[in-house]
Amino acid sequence: MSPSVTPADPVEEKIRTLTEKDIKKVLAVFREKLDAAAAASLYSCVHCGLCADSCHYHLATGEPEAMPAAKLDLVNRVFKKYHTLIGKNLPQLGGAKTLTREMIRDWVDSLFGRCTLCGRCSLSCTMGINIFSLIRTSRSALAAVGLVPPGLQSTVDTAIRSGNNMGISRENWIETVAWLEEELQNELAAPGLRLPVDRKGARILYTINPREAMFFPLSISAAGKIFFAAAEDWTFSSASFDVTNYGLYNGDDEAAGIMSARLLQAAEELGCRELVLAECGHGFSSNRWEAPEWLSRKQSLRVRSILEVVAEYIQDGRVRLDSSRNSKLHTLHDPCNLVRLGGIIEEQRYILKHAVRNLVEMRPNRGINYCCGGGGGQLAMTNFAKRRLEAGKVKADQIRATGAEVVATPCHNCIDQLMELKKLHKLAVEIRTVCEIAADALIIEAKT
Amino acid sequence: MVILKFGVLVSFGLSLIILAIQVLHTQSFGRRRLFSKAAGNAWKGVAYAFGQGMLPREKESAAKHLPTYSAGIIYHTGIFVAILAALALATDVKLPEVALPFFHVLMAGGFFTGAGLLLKRVVKPQMRYISCPDDFAANILVDIFLLAGFLALWHAALLPAFFTAAIILFLYMPMGKIRHCFFFFYSRLLFGSYFGRRGVLPRRRLARI
Repeated sequence: MSPSVTPADPVEEKIRTLTEKDIKKVLAVFREKLDAAAAASLYSCVHCGLCADSCHYHLATGEPEAMPAAKLDLVNRVFKKYHTLIGKNLPQLGGAKTLTREMIRDWVDSLFGRCTLCGRCSLSCTMGINIFSLIRTSRSALAAVGLVPPGLQSTVDTAIRSGNNMGISRENWIETVAWLEEELQNELAAPGLRLPVDRKGARILYTINPREAMFFPLSISAAGKIFFAAAEDWTFSSASFDVTNYGLYNGDDEAAGIMSARLLQAAEELGCRELVLAECGHGFSSNRWEAPEWLSRKQSLRVRSILEVVAEYIQDGRVRLDSSRNSKLHTLHDPCNLVRLGGIIEEQRYILKHAVRNLVEMRPNRGINYCCGGGGGQLAMTNFAKRRLEAGKVKADQIRATGAEVVATPCHNCIDQLMELKKLHKLAVEIRTVCEIAADALIIEAKT
Repeated sequence: MVILKFGVLVSFGLSLIILAIQVLHTQSFGRRRLFSKAAGNAWKGVAYAFGQGMLPREKESAAKHLPTYSAGIIYHTGIFVAILAALALATDVKLPEVALPFFHVLMAGGFFTGAGLLLKRVVKPQMRYISCPDDFAANILVDIFLLAGFLALWHAALLPAFFTAAIILFLYMPMGKIRHCFFFFYSRLLFGSYFGRRGVLPRRRLARI
C-alpha cells in the first residue's frame, strides 16, 4: 500500500503533529456522530467480500485497500476497540485497533482518497450496511481536527466566507444574469423574457451550481428558457444562489447546515413557496435530504430538483418538446447522489424520452449505475486526482460501450469528471446537462 | 450426557441474552429523529430488503458471485437445521424419521459449503486482506458443529461430540461475526427503511406516467 498522502501534504504535517488531545477529539466526535443505526451496521459486517466488485476504485485498480469492506474495516476496527467488550479485552480476535497516527493516516488516505460516497456498495452488501454513511461519519471525526484534504476544505471555506463555493461576488452574479437575460431575449426574440433576481413573492427560488455562472452559462440559459416557456413564476436570489454543499463531503455538519440554511432563508425572505435545485447530485442530496437533519427541523417549503419540475411541465403540457432537434444518439449517466441516494430516477429519463430521438441506457443503469468518480469531493482533492481518473475508467468503458454521441447527466460535478475522462480516454462524445438538451428541443411560441 | 444437554440449552439461552444485550447496546448510541420529508415508503423498502432484494436479479453481488451466493444459502440452511437438531436432541424431542434424510443432506451440504467458503478465504489474497482471526475461528467452529451434527445423526455415540461443539459454538456466537445471526435482520431493516424512505427501493415509476 502506498498512501497518496505525501510528507509535503499539509494533512500529513498535521497528522505528524497530532497530540493525544487531538486523537481524543477524533474519537469523541466519532462517538458523537454514531447513532444506533450506525452501531448496528458496524456490528454486522461479516467480511464476505462480495461488495468488492461494486466499487469503481476496486474494479479499476484491483487494490485490496479499495474494497468497500476494507474501507469499512478501518472504521470498524476503531469502533470495536473503543465500543465493544470483546474489542476492548480481546482485540486480536476481531482485529480491533487503537486509533493511532498511522490509523488516522490510513483513514485519510482511504476514507477521503478512495471513496466517492456513492453508496453503490450498500446495494451490493449482503447485510445491507450503509457503508458510505459510516465513511462520512468518520470524515466528520477527521474534519473536527482539521484533517480534511486542503482542496476540499478550501471549497467549504470559500462557500462559508463568500456565500458560494467559487467566491462569485453579488455584483458579478447580478451582472452575469443580466447579460444572460439580454442574450436570451435576443436569441428568442422575446424582449419580455426575464431572468428575475430577488423578485418578492415568486413561486420558485431557483438555485445554480456556481460553476454554471463561471464556465457553463448555457446551463443557466437552458433553465431560463424552460421557465419562460412554462410561464413559470420564479426568481434567483442575489444573496444565496449556490446549490452545492461540500459540507456533505468534508463531513462538517455545522458548515453544511449553514450553507443549506442560507438557501432556505433566501427563499423564505423572498416569500417563495418552493426551492428548486439545479442539476447537481450532491446539491440535491444535501438540500433535499440532509439539510433537515443538519438543521434538526422540517423544511418550511417544498424542495425539488429541476428535473421533477421539468418532467411535470411536460406531463401537464406546459412545455412541448420536439425530439427531432436532438437526433444524435444519447446516453444517460446517473449521478449517485441524485439517483441512488436521492430517489430521482425516472424523471430525467422521462424528459429525455421527449427531448431526444435516440436514447440508449448504460449497462448497468439507474440505482446501480457506476459512479463517474467525481463525487465525494474528489474533484476538489487534487492530491487524489490520479486515483480519481484511474477509477473513472469504469465509467469511460461504460460510455464507450453504448456507442452514444452525447452523454446527458444532471450534475455539474459529473460533467467535470466526464470531461476529464473524455480527454483521457479519447471518448468521442459531447457531455451536456438534461436541461440543456431539453431546452434545445423546446417549442417556444412567440411571446413578448 | 445430562450435563451436556443442559449445557447446550444454557449456552444457547446465554447466547441469546448476550446478543439481545448487544442489540440494546446499539440503542445507547441514540436514535435519530428524521426531519426530511419521505419520498417513498420505508416499510415497502423493508419488505423489499427481506424479499425481492435478496434475489440475484436484484443484487449485483449475488448475480456476479452465484456459486458463493448459493454456497451461502446452503451453508446457512445447514446451520439452521443443525441448531434445530441440537436443541431437539438436547430436549429429548424426537426428530421425525421422515425429516432425518433432509437433516443429513442439509447438514452435509452446510459442512461442505462452509469448508469451501473457508478455503476461499484462505486461498484468495483479497479475502485474506479483509479477514481477521474471528473470520477463520467462526467458520471452523461452525464447520465442526455441522460435521459433528451430521455424524451424530448417524451414530448416537457421537452425540456428546455434537453437544460439545454446540456449546462451544453457542458461547462463541456473541463474541464474533456469528452475531450477524441477529444483526442481519437489524441491518437489512435499516437498509430497507433508508432506501425505501428515499423512494429508491423498490424501484418505482413516475407517479403520473
